Amino acid sequence: MLVQSILLGLVGVFCALDSRLLGRLNFERPLIGSTLVGLVLGDLQTGLVVGASLELMSLGIVNIGAAAPPNMNMASIIAAAFAIFSNANAETALTIAVPISVLGQMLDIVLRTFLSNFSHRADTLIEQGQFAKARRIHIGWGTLLYGLSYFIPIGWGTLLYGLSYFIPIFMAIYFGTDLVQQLVDIIPDWLTDGLGVASKILPAFGFALLLNTMLTNRLVPYLLLGFLITAYSGLDVTGIALFACIVAFIMYEVKFSGNGGNGGNAEEADPLEDDL
Amino acid sequence: MAKEKDPNSWKYWQFFWRSWAIQASWNYERQMNMGFMYGIAPVLDNIYKNSEDGQLKKEAYQRHMIYYNCTPQTSAFVLGLSASMEEQYYEDQENFNPETITAVKTSLMGPLSGIGDSFFQGTIRVLAFGLGINLARDGSILGPILAMIISFVPSFVITYYGGKLGYTMGNKYLSRLYEEGLMDRVMYVCSIVGLMVIGSMIASLIELETPISFGETFVLQDVLDDLLPQMLSLAATFIMYWLIKKKVPMGWLLTICIVGGVVFNVLGILN
Repeated sequence: MLVQSILLGLVGVFCALDSRLLGRLNFERPLIGSTLVGLVLGDLQTGLVVGASLELMSLGIVNIGAAAPPNMNMASIIAAAFAIFSNANAETALTIAVPISVLGQMLDIVLRTFLSNFSHRADTLIEQGQFAKARRIHIGWGTLLYGLSYFIPIGWGTLLYGLSYFIPIFMAIYFGTDLVQQLVDIIPDWLTDGLGVASKILPAFGFALLLNTMLTNRLVPYLLLGFLITAYSGLDVTGIALFACIVAFIMYEVKFSGNGGNGGNAEEADPLEDDL
Repeated sequence: MAKEKDPNSWKYWQFFWRSWAIQASWNYERQMNMGFMYGIAPVLDNIYKNSEDGQLKKEAYQRHMIYYNCTPQTSAFVLGLSASMEEQYYEDQENFNPETITAVKTSLMGPLSGIGDSFFQGTIRVLAFGLGINLARDGSILGPILAMIISFVPSFVITYYGGKLGYTMGNKYLSRLYEEGLMDRVMYVCSIVGLMVIGSMIASLIELETPISFGETFVLQDVLDDLLPQMLSLAATFIMYWLIKKKVPMGWLLTICIVGGVVFNVLGILN
């Protein structure tokens, strides 16, 4: 059981690192994760079936932008392992998967918040001219943390099953889901909710840093224009970008075309403007 | 195939593999910033080989530590383009405004992640895994294998050729833009697009809301939404911007974000 726990932990790490190191090749999808579990535990059929039903359930879950969706990857690996160990069917595996995916989601939020600190560490290292160290933070610590974060809970999940190895099958499943649920319950709501709010304020900080390098008073209206269109109409970023191209084109015409009329923007005027 | 070997081909492979690894330290604050820095690092190291370029190298690294977020596969294109701009900046430091690089990066991330996410996660993934589920349900190992192959091929092609295209296109057109003195105009246009995209992201990605209400009739969030939807997100960004301008140390700002989030939530001001 120890060997299998470790192996499953490694499968989890590999799948988790898919979107971290392998450009999101979809190894993290339930279908692949469960199949790998089936291969490791020597029950490919169950792995495939559990994977297929979990995949069907999570086909709509997408990783876009900053959203942290329920962690179906972690869920699928533990659920497939439970199903194989306990001869449970795919439906039972689904009920195990749901609380685990929520636990995984919370873990993701904590981790991604935590990694913000590493950005600042890298800032300092660059300031000191230690470029290689700064790079290692990204590839080393980032990878390690994401990897470990999967290893520990999967270790839990499988260890948990190991403890209840001789207990009747239904007890094992019951106890398993229950413990995950208890883990979820231990973390106080105010902390998870608070971290949720923090995870919304942190991007604001990121945008502010970006604006710090880009924004001049003259350009504030464009920032607001993009904001207002999305805020009032819900148009997405791609739509705004297309609009922005047209706005930019029009402003370009206004500013640079015609008889040298640069609209009084003397400090921004291009010295070669008249040549074109 | 007696083609000569492209001396820049090592760079394309760097863009390729490093844009896959771009999310290794994904974080809430600046998202893929370190990934981008890591991606462009070999090119920067190659440009600033000499020890007297230390300060420039530092600035270049800092330039790429800012907020960045884009589909990993389409990031190779941005890496390629930024890399060729960095090279041109080094060649022509008087005329090239390095802020252009930031502006170009920023104006590309919105559209490219829009296209990239809907292509890879919407179209390709649903297609590949829809097929895969059907086969896997019948107990065929072909299901996951097929799903992986269908996911992998477009990913590989777009990442590799995206990086190459970005780099060669940058080299070909950017130098011409500089020679003709058009770069200020490009900069102006890119800043407009970039800032509008950031504005849109503030409105769509932050989503701060307040649960404050008095009785059934007064729900503060509804009032705010009537005035200006996503007003709190904009306010949070501008407060952060103001604090940065006030030169509040980064560590403090980060603490403010995290502790502030928890405290505001406990006090029932934000959720």
